[in-house]
Amino acid sequence: MAEETQKMEKVVVKKVSASAQELLNLKSPAWASTSAQRIELAATPLANQPSPYIKATYDETKIGAIKEVLVRAVHNGKEIFFFFEWKSPAANLEIGDVGTFPDGVSVLMPFKNPEQTPIKEMGSKDFPTNSWYWRPDFENKPKNQVAHGLSTSLYTETTPLTSVSSWESGTWRVVIGRPLQVKEEAVNLAPGQPNVVGFAAWEGGNGERGGVKAFSKEWRDLILEA
Amino acid sequence: MPVDEKKLTDREKELALQFQATKDRLRETKRQVAMVMDLNKCIGCQLCSMACKSLWTSLEGREYMWWNKVNTQPGKGSPKDWERKGGGYRVLFGGKVRDPVRGELPTRRDFGDMWKFNFDEVFSSKAGEKHLKALNPDGSEPEWSMNWDEDQGGGTYPNAFYFYLPRICNHCTYPACVDACPRNAIYKREEDGAVVIDQEKCKGYRFCLESCPYKVIYFNFVQKTSMKCIFCYPRLEQKVATACARQCTGRVRFLGFLDDPSGPIHKLVKVWKVALPLHPEYGTEPNVFYVPPLSPPRLDDQGKLDPAKPRVPPAYLRFLFGPEVDAALDIMNKELQKVRAGGKSELMEILIAKQWLDMFGPFKTDPATLQRLPAKEQKA
Repeated sequence: MAEETQKMEKVVVKKVSASAQELLNLKSPAWASTSAQRIELAATPLANQPSPYIKATYDETKIGAIKEVLVRAVHNGKEIFFFFEWKSPAANLEIGDVGTFPDGVSVLMPFKNPEQTPIKEMGSKDFPTNSWYWRPDFENKPKNQVAHGLSTSLYTETTPLTSVSSWESGTWRVVIGRPLQVKEEAVNLAPGQPNVVGFAAWEGGNGERGGVKAFSKEWRDLILEA
Repeated sequence: MPVDEKKLTDREKELALQFQATKDRLRETKRQVAMVMDLNKCIGCQLCSMACKSLWTSLEGREYMWWNKVNTQPGKGSPKDWERKGGGYRVLFGGKVRDPVRGELPTRRDFGDMWKFNFDEVFSSKAGEKHLKALNPDGSEPEWSMNWDEDQGGGTYPNAFYFYLPRICNHCTYPACVDACPRNAIYKREEDGAVVIDQEKCKGYRFCLESCPYKVIYFNFVQKTSMKCIFCYPRLEQKVATACARQCTGRVRFLGFLDDPSGPIHKLVKVWKVALPLHPEYGTEPNVFYVPPLSPPRLDDQGKLDPAKPRVPPAYLRFLFGPEVDAALDIMNKELQKVRAGGKSELMEILIAKQWLDMFGPFKTDPATLQRLPAKEQKA
C-alpha cells in the first residue's frame, strides 16, 4: 500500500458509504481505495518525562523505534475509522512476563483550542486532550483516555471504541473505529467541523510503554469530508 | 544519554520544576512508621509470610506474590539475584543529590511463578500413587520460588552458617518507585509514611519494579497493575499492628513511629544504634531496620573454638548492612556480656521483649476489634 501514499499535511477523513462491519475488515475494498498518509514519528523528549528516573536513566536516541505510521481515515456519516499500518519486527501481543510490553498505537485530539493545547504535553489543565488507545491485549476494545497534561491520562469507564488488527510478516495493521458522536467524555466529531489530530505508537519489543514512545510532534488538520 | 540541563528550553525547565515539586509532595509525610526486625530471633518459620498471604495476596492475580517473605542468607533471595538488578540512587554531595540508577526487571520465574498444583489428581488416586506436584502456568517444572534456597546458606563445614532475612517493602524515605512512576501513582501516606500504589492511577508500566533496588514490587498479570506491601495501613489506621508483626512467633518484629522516644523503634535505631537498614548504599533510606545476627565463634583447624573469629564473616554483614554493622555488633556483644555477668541492660530487655505488646508502640489494639469497611471504601 506504500505506493499509494501521498505527501500531505492534512489528515483527510474520506466520506464513504461502507458500513462499520465492512470497515472493521482490514481487507475491505473501502480501505484499498483510500489513500494513506505517511506520518513521521519521533521519540518523546526525555526532558518532558515526568519521571526523574526515566529522565536520568533512559537514552532518548533509543526511544521511538517506530519511525512512521501510515494512516488512512474514513467516516460514513455516523462513525469514523482510522486504519494504521506500521513495521514491527515481532508482534508483542500481551504482558507475558514482567519485562514484556505490548505494542500499541493511539490517536490524540484536543477538546478545544488546538493552538493552546500542547501536543508534546498531552494538553494542559485547561486544555485537555482525548486519546483513543489501542493495544493487542485490549481485546479489540481500545481505551478512551482524557489527559490534562503529562502523567494525567485516565481511562473513561465506558467507550464505544472498537478495533480489528493483524500482524503479518513484520507489519501491524489496525483499524480503530468509533461513532462520531459519543456520550462519554471524548471529542465529538462532525463532518465539516474542523479539528486537529496527532498520533503515537509503541514498540513493545523496545520496552516502550507510557510516555516512552514515538509520537507526531505537531498537530495536523483533521478534515472530515462533508 | 541523560538530559543535558543546559540545553533545556524555558518550558522544559518549568516542567522539570513542576515535576520535581510533585515528587517532593508525594514523598512528604508528617510521621514515619518503621519496623525493626531482630535477626537473632528469626527462625524462618514463614508465619509472617502466611499471615500476609492470607490477608492480602490470595486474590486473583496476587497468588504468586509474597509481599512478605523470609529469605535465607547468604542466598539468591527472591526475586532471584535481586541484589544484582540495580535501581536505587547514587547519593552525592552528602545526600543533596540522589542520582537514579537504572534497574533491571526481574522475570516472573525469578519471583517463582504462579504455580498450579495437581490436587485433583492426588485426591482421586490411590494412596501413594500420585504425589503433590507444582507446575508453572506453562506446564514446566518450577525452578525458583521465594524460599527455594532456604537453609542452604554459605561457608563450609565446620564453619557453615546461615541466617534468615524477612523482607517487606522498606517504605523508604526516598522511595525510588515514587520517583520512577510517570503517573504519580505512588506516594507516601501523610499520616504514617507507608508507600502505596494508587490502583486507580497505576497503568502497569513497571518503571517502579525497575527502579526499586529491593525488588519488592510485583506485577499483577490479571489486573495489569503493580502491587506491593502496604504496611497493613488499614490496620495501622485502627492502631492494630501489621499482620506479619502480630503473627511472628519469635517476637522478631518491632513496630512504631520513628520519632517516638518512648517506643522501641526509636530506642533501637536512634539511641542504641543497633538496628540498621538493608543495603544502605542503595540510597533510598529504608524505614525497615534489622538488628544484625550475632555469631558463634569459628572452629579452627583442630576443631577448637576460636573466639576471635565470628562464624558469620563480618565482610558479609558489612555487604548487607553497611560499615555501621561492626559498631552495632560491638554494642550488642557488650550488653550481652553485661547481662551474662549478672548486670542489667535496657537494650537486652528491649530485644528479649518479655512484654509482647510493648513491641508494637501505639499499635497495640487487638485485631479482633478491627472494623472491616466495605470494599469500595478501601483504597487497596
